[in-house]
Amino acid sequence: MPNELKPLEPIKTPYRLQYLSEDQLKQLQTATLAVMERTGVKFPSIKALNILAEHGVKVDFDKQIARFPSNIVMEYLSKMPRYFNIGARNSFYDFNLSDGCTYFTTDGCGVETIDINTRERRPSNKADVGMMARVADYLPSVAFYWPMVSSQEYGRTAPLHDLDAGFRNTLKHIQSETIMGEADARYALEMSTVIAGSKDELRKRPNFSLLVCTIAPLIQDKDGIEGAMVLAEAGVPVGFLSMPTMGTTAPATLAGALAMGDAEVISATVLMQMVAPGAPVFHSMMQAWADPSSGNYVSYPLDARGRYAPVEMAHHWGMPALGACYGTDAREAGTWQSGSEVALDAYMVGLTGAEFVTGMGLTHTYTRLFPESLLLDNDIYQKARHYLMTMDINDETLALDTVDAVGPGGHYLAQKHTRKHMRESMKRGVAHQVGPDGRYRDPREYAIEQTRWILANHHPEPVDGDRQKELDRILAAADKELGD
Amino acid sequence: MPNSLTPSLQPITPAYHLRILDDKQLEQMKSATIEILRETGVHCPSEKALNIYAEHGGIVNFEKQIVKIPPQIVLESMSHAPRFYTMGARLPSHDLNLDGKSTYITTDGCGVETIDFVTRQRRSSCKDDVAKMARISDYLTSIAFYWPIVSAQDYRSTAPLHELEASFNNTIKHVQSETIMDAKMARYAVEMARVIAGDEKTLRMRPPLSLLVCCIAPLGLDRDGMESALTLAEAGLPVGFMSMSNTGSTGPASLAGTLVVGDAEIVAAMCLIQMAYPGSPVFHSMMPGIMHPHSGAYLATAWEGTLLYPIGVELAHNWGVPSLAGVFATDGQVPGWQSAGDAASSLLLCALAGAETGSGMGLLESCTLLYPEEVLLDSDIYHRIRIECAGLDTSSEALALDVIKEVGPRGAFLRHRHTRDNLRKRTFSGLTMQPGKTGGYLDCVDVAKDKVKWILENHHPEPLDQHRQEELSHILMIAERAFG
Repeated sequence: MPNELKPLEPIKTPYRLQYLSEDQLKQLQTATLAVMERTGVKFPSIKALNILAEHGVKVDFDKQIARFPSNIVMEYLSKMPRYFNIGARNSFYDFNLSDGCTYFTTDGCGVETIDINTRERRPSNKADVGMMARVADYLPSVAFYWPMVSSQEYGRTAPLHDLDAGFRNTLKHIQSETIMGEADARYALEMSTVIAGSKDELRKRPNFSLLVCTIAPLIQDKDGIEGAMVLAEAGVPVGFLSMPTMGTTAPATLAGALAMGDAEVISATVLMQMVAPGAPVFHSMMQAWADPSSGNYVSYPLDARGRYAPVEMAHHWGMPALGACYGTDAREAGTWQSGSEVALDAYMVGLTGAEFVTGMGLTHTYTRLFPESLLLDNDIYQKARHYLMTMDINDETLALDTVDAVGPGGHYLAQKHTRKHMRESMKRGVAHQVGPDGRYRDPREYAIEQTRWILANHHPEPVDGDRQKELDRILAAADKELGD
Repeated sequence: MPNSLTPSLQPITPAYHLRILDDKQLEQMKSATIEILRETGVHCPSEKALNIYAEHGGIVNFEKQIVKIPPQIVLESMSHAPRFYTMGARLPSHDLNLDGKSTYITTDGCGVETIDFVTRQRRSSCKDDVAKMARISDYLTSIAFYWPIVSAQDYRSTAPLHELEASFNNTIKHVQSETIMDAKMARYAVEMARVIAGDEKTLRMRPPLSLLVCCIAPLGLDRDGMESALTLAEAGLPVGFMSMSNTGSTGPASLAGTLVVGDAEIVAAMCLIQMAYPGSPVFHSMMPGIMHPHSGAYLATAWEGTLLYPIGVELAHNWGVPSLAGVFATDGQVPGWQSAGDAASSLLLCALAGAETGSGMGLLESCTLLYPEEVLLDSDIYHRIRIECAGLDTSSEALALDVIKEVGPRGAFLRHRHTRDNLRKRTFSGLTMQPGKTGGYLDCVDVAKDKVKWILENHHPEPLDQHRQEELSHILMIAERAFG
């Protein structure tokens, strides 16, 4: 039986933190423009290079490098919308990026799952994607869903199966980070049109969006960019994520890494505006560090400064930002490291005003799913959400009459004001669940139990039978055409 | 055994700040506190203190031991409190200049149980624990001053003085006590501080000792605590007052109400000190909890609870005095996910709110249980936040545009001189991502335990000279006789 719909609980805060000064933002923007004009960006797609050349970009077809005059960059960025709609299968979960809120999603796209029943580590599968979509559907902190792991049993068409499992198990918006290539994008478009009902409806309330990774330093992915062009033409939001690693694929200084990563994102954004002026595009950057002793990718060194600077850089360009949070380097959920690394994320990104944010629930640098991680990350999120709320100061909350009635040395337990407000004054997280022995339970154990409870009890309204058949048909065709 | 150099302090110096309450809200809170002091008053069971209040315009009911303070008397008294001052250390290099630019953090204090350094068994705390943790704190650049972290329970009634001796003998940093209670005990403590300072002028200009006194919610001042504070203030040593009102039991069940009850307690105590010794250094500390509705327990880290700590900082500043912020307190029972998450959020927001000082690192189970490695774990989080708050370098060296051009699309930054110069400047955790002998990374809690052992074996701060050691022992001996 479908459950009652619970409203989303985004972070909404009256506080703002400006991490970079106006001068620094201008410096960074000038640097990005200089990289795009002087150094250029490689586009290994003849289709993309032709479009760029037709619109005034200096293209070296031999080397596949595009150099962008600044005036061209600014001209095409001016066509881009600052805010747009993010639709969902059920309009109850639509939101708009101009709401003044920060909306969170899950992490993606892991490759290993700790089985919820056996607790064994194994490769991820489509059932995991569906399972976590249901948990995400239940949690008001999760506003939209990234397929958290890969449907690896489907090989080449796994991304389309990820999308399918998402659509079938949550009423919320789905954002893919794995659909690559024109053909895949067309199938994804067909699936999301089935869910929306029509192409027009999809354009108005896109129930699906795509995030494409660029390749540092300064390269676009052929399949990624060609898939994005298909979706941009259909009015489906696309975003570009650069992941410069300081010292290996980016300069070993933060500002340089940020400017270079920004050039990757902005060059792709400009292309989208050339293909489909006014197309909804968003900006995302997740810089990382190379461990000097091993070259390993590290998301959370002590100096993770700049993790939130890209949000301000996106806004400076006049585009929405997908902030990058969570995704601890810890190998296991519920450990000190998994808590300490991500504890600040939701606060900082909320304070910088990111429109939406990825992503809760994975460990081992975005690769491993412990299902209970989503509940633990949710707890950190809720703490930040409450922290950043407006504080109520009025006669009722100041309670001076009650203070006077109790006086020095008394207690408030018997007061009417206490009975009225006590239940709302304590918001209980996973850490304050009382066990049978009167002590607080282990938060992780409780999170595992709560995940199992959600899976047993939360059943979002299914996709209706006709549309399920349509999705099956599209997937069968995709498996046949593209499958291994 | 050669002496070790105590490393320079690394306080948090934020490049940007955060306001939580606006001016109007701050004035509402101040007016509410003033109204409570005028209408309801505070209970103060000290004849000495009541006489001081009465002599300076307080309306005292000696029978009920209640003092009500008229608004103009509150404002006049508080106008004498200094906004900025110095808390001295044994060596001037480690003095704390409370100038509003930096945040200095201490350990937590007065726990009652220790996980033994060697056996790992849980046992009552003792003087040797205070000494060992003072040495560890001396080594850590994150810890600017030292709260005797547990109680020297092997010394019963003179435990607070033994905690001071163990601290002064094992760290050159400033020591802040939260256990010296009553005027007699305080006089011995002042004598000990005078020995450390060397002369009267230094004692006043660079006081090596300060005191934090807890109020008793609701609206009660502790007799021994207040008389102790008066004794220290007379000698020019900084004294602070902490409120720990608990929403729903010893405070109203609304956040604003809990805050103003606590604020009234603190301000009443600060007024007393300013009436007796105008201009003496005082500080404000707000550490309310939220009552767990099932158990009545004081929760330091309920979802909304931590919001109260940075607001406490703003209230202090609105009264024109420095603050001691509540940071790092956790209800977690072992070093792990919960303790990490709790620690990070409170420190970040208190630092951004401009707290001058904050306590404290290293205790679990709501400030009662010492795991020695927890100080190392908290220190790691401290540095993450310190760097997070430091802003971004956007100089041309950091932007590295020439380097990006030279490397170009598809290149590698590894070989570049800029990478060699700058990668070493990046800061990595000493606990996480530590390679193990058999591949993979070591468990960071195990690394922290090893580090505790290493510090105790290798760090031996400059000892007090023989003469001053003997002076301290002599004072202790007399105190032992006096207290029996």
